[in-house]
Amino acid sequence: MRVKLIYSHSVVEKPILSSIVLKTGIPINILEARINAQKGEIIVSIPASGEKLEEILNLFRESGVQVQEFIETLRIDWEKCVACGACISPCPTRALRFREDWTLEFIEEKCVACGICVAACPVKAINMP
Amino acid sequence: MSEKDEEIRSIDEINEKIKRGDAVVLTAEEMINLVESSGLEVAAKEVDVVTSGTFGAMCSSGVFLNFGHSDPPIKMTRCWLNDVPVYKGLAAVDGYLGAASISETKGFEYGGGHVIEDLVSGREIDLRAESYGTDCYPRRHIETVITIDDLNQATLVNPRNCYQKYDAAANSSDRVLYTYMGTLLPNYGNITFSGAGQLNPLCKDPNYETIGFGTKIFLGGGIGYIIGEGTQHNPTSGFGTLMVKGDLKQMNSRYLRGASFHRYGTTLYVGIGIPIPIINMRVAGTAALKDDEIYVDIRDYGAAVRPDLRPVIKRVSYAELRSGKVTIGDRDIPSSSLSSYKMAREIAETLKKWILEGTFFLTRPIEPLPKHGKPKPLKVKGRELRAGDIMSRNVITAKPSDDIKEVALKLVEKGIDHLPVVDEEGKLAGIVTSWDLARAIAQDKRRLEEIMTRRVIVAFENESIDVVVRRMAQHNISGVPVVDRMNNVIGILTTDDISRKIVGGRTAL
Repeated sequence: MRVKLIYSHSVVEKPILSSIVLKTGIPINILEARINAQKGEIIVSIPASGEKLEEILNLFRESGVQVQEFIETLRIDWEKCVACGACISPCPTRALRFREDWTLEFIEEKCVACGICVAACPVKAINMP
Repeated sequence: MSEKDEEIRSIDEINEKIKRGDAVVLTAEEMINLVESSGLEVAAKEVDVVTSGTFGAMCSSGVFLNFGHSDPPIKMTRCWLNDVPVYKGLAAVDGYLGAASISETKGFEYGGGHVIEDLVSGREIDLRAESYGTDCYPRRHIETVITIDDLNQATLVNPRNCYQKYDAAANSSDRVLYTYMGTLLPNYGNITFSGAGQLNPLCKDPNYETIGFGTKIFLGGGIGYIIGEGTQHNPTSGFGTLMVKGDLKQMNSRYLRGASFHRYGTTLYVGIGIPIPIINMRVAGTAALKDDEIYVDIRDYGAAVRPDLRPVIKRVSYAELRSGKVTIGDRDIPSSSLSSYKMAREIAETLKKWILEGTFFLTRPIEPLPKHGKPKPLKVKGRELRAGDIMSRNVITAKPSDDIKEVALKLVEKGIDHLPVVDEEGKLAGIVTSWDLARAIAQDKRRLEEIMTRRVIVAFENESIDVVVRRMAQHNISGVPVVDRMNNVIGILTTDDISRKIVGGRTAL
């Protein structure tokens, strides 16, 4: 499960994420982080589901962190895609790659919706909803 | 005459076999496999034709159009299709629409390449034209809607297509570059490349023994012909190109796709497939060349210099590029293509099918392509305006330990907005602007070193003024210190200097 954690000014300096990792023992993976003294946004991948996932998300909420779940990241128009590959190497999380038959594969779990592929696609086949 | 020159079969013999339905046709990939399993001798004896293919962005593409005459008639001097300018330096209702021509209303989102795709798809296109009116062509303005069926001719004529191979791209600079080679991440974050390598037509006959003037080809899903070498044809370095033409009305939008490269411009993805008749052992050998035998350089697009002067980072094979990562030093850098290998393969397959079905026959070139020569750079007459010509040499600087209020006073006294900060040895350590100082005073800061920008955007004395102006615009700044190679500040260049000293174009210095 990928979620965006939004830290407000009042909690940005607390070690919330590491505390939750220590508490639950779940190795939360940071995919992207933008933090300064005023606020922070961290995109993480949480390798958990069901109750365990809910527990972790609640721990963040209780600590004052706003949790945004990624429901949909990219929309690829497969009719338009020419499988050129222009989106692949710019992708910072390797969420796009070629299959054996040189068609494009999108691995949604890895996507952090940064949008660099949207700009990179020459035939405008990628959109962010 | 060496053994390799000895003719195995003639093009006429191959066409006879195609007619009889017993020609042996393989795609380039199949040829590679056959040579690996059975050896070159067997493959050369068995195979009559190898088909190649490529599908990539080819900016030097376009279409000659004849609109037909209206009543009253017009001598179109300016013309737009879906707001994309058409070249009108031709007769009254002839025009040329280039793939890189950009919409005057939609910018980089839509251009000539897209109009060509829309035409081929049978979509309606807005035609607008203007004229000064003549005795024989009195009309001065026309606005109408056309489709490809309304045109008398729509002839694709592409001055430079089908590069034999193309150097790959990376970016050493510290910011993302948006180029015709796609998105290049900073600090060598990725590598992009173009071309189908082992499927690429000219790579399969790099000595141009079978590909030449008049060769019949697969072009955009229809039939096309090679009408000569392409512009910038560079056989000496192994970068041959082709000029091709074909009837757009017979083509298919699956193989002609309008495209835009972010912050660069528009282009056209063109599908080209060329049959390689296996006439001798040498051609059999080149037709079986593999990705790991075809090499290009990776060039640094971080340097704003002439394309052939871009520094070479590494020489690399298409096999390594296509593997998805290239090792440079101790780093594995992600690599990906801009042209479609999947479509290249589909084109080679389609051409093979046409030949096997007996609907596509081979042609003997009427003239060979030039085998020697390389393009020249453009000479710039007069001296290029450089940073050193415009900069102020009388630079006022400050030290990191200076008091902010004193520095602010200095700025007001001298009437300047940019102040380079130098260390004790005179080397550039930072910069502050009047805006930085205003904010610092408001925040009650004391020393310059607390507030100065340490990552300074600089210029060098011999850099072209256009390059420096673009850098300033990209970083949204209005001044740069000019430094020497030892990082000593030797001048300062501001937008004020530029607007004051370049008055009325480039004349007054």
